[in-house]
Amino acid sequence: MAKQRPAKLSVYLYIPNLVGYLRVLLNCIAFSNKTLFSLLYFFSFCCDAVDGWCARKFNQVSTFGAVLDMVTDRVSTACLLVILSQIYKPSLVFLSLLALDIASHWLQMYSTFLSGKTSHKDVKDSTSWLCRLYYGNRMLMGYCCVSCEVLYIILLLIAKKQTEDLMNVVVESLTQISPLSILLTLNIFGWLIKQIINVIQMKTAADVCVLYDIEKHHKA
Amino acid sequence: MAANKAKQRPAKLSVYLYIPNLVGYLRVLLNCIAFSNKTLFSLLYFFSFCCDAVDGWCARKFNQVSTFGAVLDMVTDRPSLVFLSLLALDIASHWLQMYSTFLSGKTSHKDVKDSTSWLCRLYYGNRMLMGYCCVSCEVLYIILLLIAKKQTEDLMNVVVESLTQISPLSILLTLNIFGWLIKQIINVIQMKTAADVCVLYDIEKHHKA
Repeated sequence: MAKQRPAKLSVYLYIPNLVGYLRVLLNCIAFSNKTLFSLLYFFSFCCDAVDGWCARKFNQVSTFGAVLDMVTDRVSTACLLVILSQIYKPSLVFLSLLALDIASHWLQMYSTFLSGKTSHKDVKDSTSWLCRLYYGNRMLMGYCCVSCEVLYIILLLIAKKQTEDLMNVVVESLTQISPLSILLTLNIFGWLIKQIINVIQMKTAADVCVLYDIEKHHKA
Repeated sequence: MAANKAKQRPAKLSVYLYIPNLVGYLRVLLNCIAFSNKTLFSLLYFFSFCCDAVDGWCARKFNQVSTFGAVLDMVTDRPSLVFLSLLALDIASHWLQMYSTFLSGKTSHKDVKDSTSWLCRLYYGNRMLMGYCCVSCEVLYIILLLIAKKQTEDLMNVVVESLTQISPLSILLTLNIFGWLIKQIINVIQMKTAADVCVLYDIEKHHKA
């Protein structure tokens, strides 16, 4: 007896995917309204945790949902970094962070697909102690991810003029002992760990791509 | 007795040093310099875009096609809501497209083909058309950067003004806008098609279980 196939539409209407669409909508509104931006952007970021929980609770885990989640994360971070690059000079700082975010995640995804076919051992050998610590500890990972987003939102909020010098703003905010300087310090620390992880993952993923070809060639 | 000679594995480093991948690194470097220097930007950005054609040619000529090179190529290829939306569309459509390419080895090939529109078939079947659309996009963006005189401009004003004054610029703009438009429509269609592949993948997997 053939199992009845669920309609494509029903997957698109899974509860976690509806949460995903809400996130997209919130981001669209957030980026078109300066006043509400930080609230909406951060709320959308919180929904990121909700849709994963929904998927497991309602048994509606889907590949489409995972991709929707990843793409929404990357696009919203990219747009925020573009805006920050226009406010804070030199623009190259935030454009570089944008580049690193997209490149590292893209390579990471590519290598995840390929590593089903490459020697698992080779990948593990190149995993650094920092990566093992990061991925093994959900609290640490959560702290670093949240720090990144909060840091970017704070920088957007404290910009008073249309263009600011990044170094000046950061140094000024840190040297005046205040709740802001403590918050900034905490976030910068988590943000830094995440960027280092991005660089390591990018190298690891590139290695996977290269090893994939070598293995394929060897088997041929 | 057959001699068992293990094939010698090429070192990882040699793939990183493939000529087309070196061209890829040059593109990354050019883009870094381009984005830090307003004057040279357009030249360097366009030159980097030209290298895009070169590294693929090198790969085939020197027989150094590599998966890493393909990924590097795509990664180096990619403030007002209009341009943020275009950024979002570009990243989202290419990301989903890549995901579905990996998955579609495992989904029914027929389902994917059914959802391919006539425009997609025309676009991907015709290298000249595809090339024209990709180049139009990049050239349009560079032109818009170059004709901006003030630090903030009204997009509609600038575009309408440039189009209404009959000049070489208006002709160039029109040509590019047409190609750019086709590419954005393709992006949207591909995004939908790729999302369908993701969904079908789960359905097939569930069906086989």
